[in-house]
Amino acid sequence: MKYGVVGGIVALSVGVIHLFASQQTTIVLDGSTTVGPLAKAFAEHFMQQHPGVKITVSESGSGNGAKSLINGTCHIATMSRAMKPEEVAAAAEKGVKAVAHVVAIDALPVLVHPSNPLTNLTLAQVKDIYLGKITNWKELGGPDVRIVKISRDTNSGTYECFEELVMKKEKMADDVEYVGSNGAVRQRVMTTPAAIGYAGLAFVDKKVKAISINGVAPCAETARNKTYPIARPLYMYTNGEPPQGSLLEQFVNFYKTAKGREITEAIGFVPVN
Amino acid sequence: MHLRTRHVLNRAFTGLGYVATSIMAGALLVLLVPIFVRGAGAIVFRGTVEFRRYLFEQEGRGDREAVHNEIAHARAARAPVYAMLAEAEKEIATAPLTRQRELRSALAELRDAIRELLGPDPGQRTPVLLRQQYGQTRWDRALVKLHEVLYTETWDYSDPSGMGRKVYVPRAEAFTGLGVTALFPYVETHLSAMLRPRLTLYWGFLTDDSRDAHFFGGIMPELLGTFYLTVGAMLIAIPLGVLTAIYLAEYAGDNMAVRFLRSCMSTLAGVPSIVFGLFGLAFFINTLHVSHSKSVLAGSLTLALLVLPTVIRASEEAIRAVPHTYREAALSLGASTWRTVCTVVLPAALPGILTGIVISMGRAAGETAPIIFTAAVSVGVPLKLWEVFNHPTPALSWNIYNVSTEHEAVDEIRHVQFGMVCVLVGLVLLLNLTAIMLRARIARKLKG
Amino acid sequence: MDEAGAQGIADKGAREVTTRGCCPPSGLLLSAGARRRQRFFHFLGQGFLFGVASVSAIAVFFIFIFIVRDALPFCTWARLRDFFTSTRWYPSGSPPEFGALAIMYGSMMVTVGAVVVAVPLGIAAAVCLSDVLPFSLRQVVKPVIEILAAIPSVAYGFFALVVFAPLLQDHGGRVLAILVWLFGVPVGALAVLVASDMLSRRLTSGGERRGQGLIAAALATVVVIALVWLSRRAATIQIDSGTNALNVSLILGIMALPTIVSVSEDALQAAGSELREGSYALGATRAETILNVVIPAASGGISAAIILGFMRAIGETMVVWMASGNAAQLPRPLYNYLMPVRTLTATIAGDMGEADHVTGSERYHVLFVMALVLLLISFACNSFSEWIIWRRRKRLGV
Repeated sequence: MKYGVVGGIVALSVGVIHLFASQQTTIVLDGSTTVGPLAKAFAEHFMQQHPGVKITVSESGSGNGAKSLINGTCHIATMSRAMKPEEVAAAAEKGVKAVAHVVAIDALPVLVHPSNPLTNLTLAQVKDIYLGKITNWKELGGPDVRIVKISRDTNSGTYECFEELVMKKEKMADDVEYVGSNGAVRQRVMTTPAAIGYAGLAFVDKKVKAISINGVAPCAETARNKTYPIARPLYMYTNGEPPQGSLLEQFVNFYKTAKGREITEAIGFVPVN
Repeated sequence: MHLRTRHVLNRAFTGLGYVATSIMAGALLVLLVPIFVRGAGAIVFRGTVEFRRYLFEQEGRGDREAVHNEIAHARAARAPVYAMLAEAEKEIATAPLTRQRELRSALAELRDAIRELLGPDPGQRTPVLLRQQYGQTRWDRALVKLHEVLYTETWDYSDPSGMGRKVYVPRAEAFTGLGVTALFPYVETHLSAMLRPRLTLYWGFLTDDSRDAHFFGGIMPELLGTFYLTVGAMLIAIPLGVLTAIYLAEYAGDNMAVRFLRSCMSTLAGVPSIVFGLFGLAFFINTLHVSHSKSVLAGSLTLALLVLPTVIRASEEAIRAVPHTYREAALSLGASTWRTVCTVVLPAALPGILTGIVISMGRAAGETAPIIFTAAVSVGVPLKLWEVFNHPTPALSWNIYNVSTEHEAVDEIRHVQFGMVCVLVGLVLLLNLTAIMLRARIARKLKG
Repeated sequence: MDEAGAQGIADKGAREVTTRGCCPPSGLLLSAGARRRQRFFHFLGQGFLFGVASVSAIAVFFIFIFIVRDALPFCTWARLRDFFTSTRWYPSGSPPEFGALAIMYGSMMVTVGAVVVAVPLGIAAAVCLSDVLPFSLRQVVKPVIEILAAIPSVAYGFFALVVFAPLLQDHGGRVLAILVWLFGVPVGALAVLVASDMLSRRLTSGGERRGQGLIAAALATVVVIALVWLSRRAATIQIDSGTNALNVSLILGIMALPTIVSVSEDALQAAGSELREGSYALGATRAETILNVVIPAASGGISAAIILGFMRAIGETMVVWMASGNAAQLPRPLYNYLMPVRTLTATIAGDMGEADHVTGSERYHVLFVMALVLLLISFACNSFSEWIIWRRRKRLGV
């Protein structure tokens, strides 16, 4: 009896809900933890401007974002790397046309503990550290301390970006420690004097030291003019160009508005022109 | 062995048992005390005028008159600071050119530090992020920021063989000879006049939405999400579990099929929770398509499977504990087995079943791994009841993970993290206390 | 329809006054048709209940099927060999490498650590609960165990990450020294007692009081010196990262504790008072009774308890994900608990986000292989503990 009633309610509600869901009052974002802070801030401001709109943000990784978009389970995939050819192909197979919107530019500062006297490394040195060829800060003119290498999880767009721009596709040594998010990288570096790590520009503050690469300090300016070597665009992917004037379109283009640019900057990313 | 040694050994053995038990109790204390003490800080804390300004401007709470009054007082206390800063600007313009650049950057840093402490300068355009619109809302954080205003943190790298050492240099040293040095003692002594800390009871932590990624506001969406997920899971697990228990206790004989069922149940109880998560994703979402993507429904279904064995076991025990005389009396009156079960056995077993249900509820509320792939998102608004079928939700357990590892400013919002953990643990403990009390009542009833 | 069946039975039962147990009675009062109908509804109702009861069996089957189905695409001989023998875990490299040996080793390491922490503590506490503590105290301790069991794993993980990890990192040496004392003192005291007794008997025939006291004092001094030395050594250890195998092992040990305590306490209770009384009658002390009589009698249940604790620890996700450091490496040396490790569960939780099954990537399927490994381990453990219980029951002839 109880069963039947519950079943009935479930069936009825599912039907009603699917009716409601077809109206676009909900925007679902899924993807990168790097883009997370930006997406959350955009969402909050957009919801303030448009009461009645519901935006949910998942931070489950760039690949998951792509997956959700292809499966049609999110409206926007936030990604800290471009979609791979296989993903684009898989999307096409399912009739999803992935359209990229570059919403911001992010630099990947290389972080060390503030107690580390080094201020500059070359790209090759960073690579050698992660390859395991340099294992002690002494070899770089620092104190005699074993280097603790922190990396983003291999499942992140941030990792893949670093792998491409710094490691040039070579594999990291196997004693690299992997942590699950940008915040966790910062936390590990902040609490570990011998550490080296990398995270998004938004995650840099006084507690960690972002060192210069090839003599260029990571900041908005150097990321924009591409003098800082480890910078990447951040994406929002949609299924096809969103229809003009729709809420989705407004949200995806929010980064172009003055407010959006201001938020981008305030959070620590570089707005695009 | 000597008799005496045997006795000493016996004592020692007893002592060992006591040691083990007290280590266990100690572990519980060590775990709970920081969680509850610091968690309470999310609700009871010394709130500053900035906090009341936030409440008034953003949530529309508080007495307009009083808040404005207070802001005016605080402004008055802060005015000298800004005056001194403006003065410093002029002074720097007249300083020797060689020193000007250095002084300018020191002043800019000082301004930043003060902005973090007190909020935006008067006359400054309102910053876009909420966290930059207000100064420190909590006195304990304000003291940390005060230290940052007074001292710069530099690192002494003079010892090349070791890591640098942290050195705090009074900021005033950078401005020697300038009038602005008077600012530091003024800020230090007048901080409480500028921020007006007051013991604050902020129940809004439980009932407000999160603002600006948990920098402000409360945990309502998470709390509601946990509620939906738990209740949903129990709605599914209770009928299934209790009916199964009735079957096992009243109908099933001891044959192969039943033995097989039982072994399946204990296997189910042993499946790691993360595997439930994977299964929920692969089965409920990707195969059955119960919802478009992650949803409360999918999460509840997964959680229901997870707690099912617990519900079954507890209910079966409770049903079996009902004395046989009850059944015999009912059957002798001519009632069928089913009727006996419904009218006699179940009511008698109800407290026991409830105990099991309440404990499983605690389990469902606290589980994280099964909902990662099936229901949880990091940001969302509170759901309406009819939205649970196709909307994902934030949930306490998942968001504890999220805000304590993935958030961009993990140590600025420690109080929120502790608050969330405290609420979740409190909730689960409350459920368990209910169960313990229920059980005590049963015991008393059976005795009396 | 099924509900109607069950309801039907109830209605029928009310209308036609008959009794019905598991076997249909010879309803003398009923016509043949009514009896047939009654029997039909009875079976229908039972069938419905059986159907509901088999939901958990079906769920177990489906879990196996779905995990295996998604694990299969990964399973080629070469890849599986790599999976089980290589330590190189580069799921996103090109070409990717999926050597999970280090990850499985990490899982084993923290689980074994947890068991080492939880088993002695748990059994001692269970003995204390079942045989030592007075009833009133027991009523206080039992809720403690229940609460320990009820605290959500994410709260344990949070504690490990936010409270315990910084503590280990900043005062690691001191924490280790405290642990040395915590375990060294009880073990040392017992060892001194036993050793002094044995030695005194060997040295002084007959065993004078003073002889034993002297030996005990000497041994105790040695033990204390050893402990001081050990704790001094431990205090100098600098822990590079607080999120490591030790941290997770300790926390998992605490989490596994309630399972071990409650299951082994049940087993100890079930050993019965006759055994105990018999042993006391022969002049054994309580300690001797428990060690030589009760624990052997309850060994089956206690091993089941250990297995359940093991399962709890190996299947735990949040604590290890948050606080184990997640480095897919074999610690050097292999027993080094102060290095970060990575476990199967944490890998599944962390990597699932990136592994995209739309492109059918190996990365997605390898996670299901991991889930399968976990599932098989827990299945094996479960079957083993059931077998232990079954064997006992058979031996007792119940």
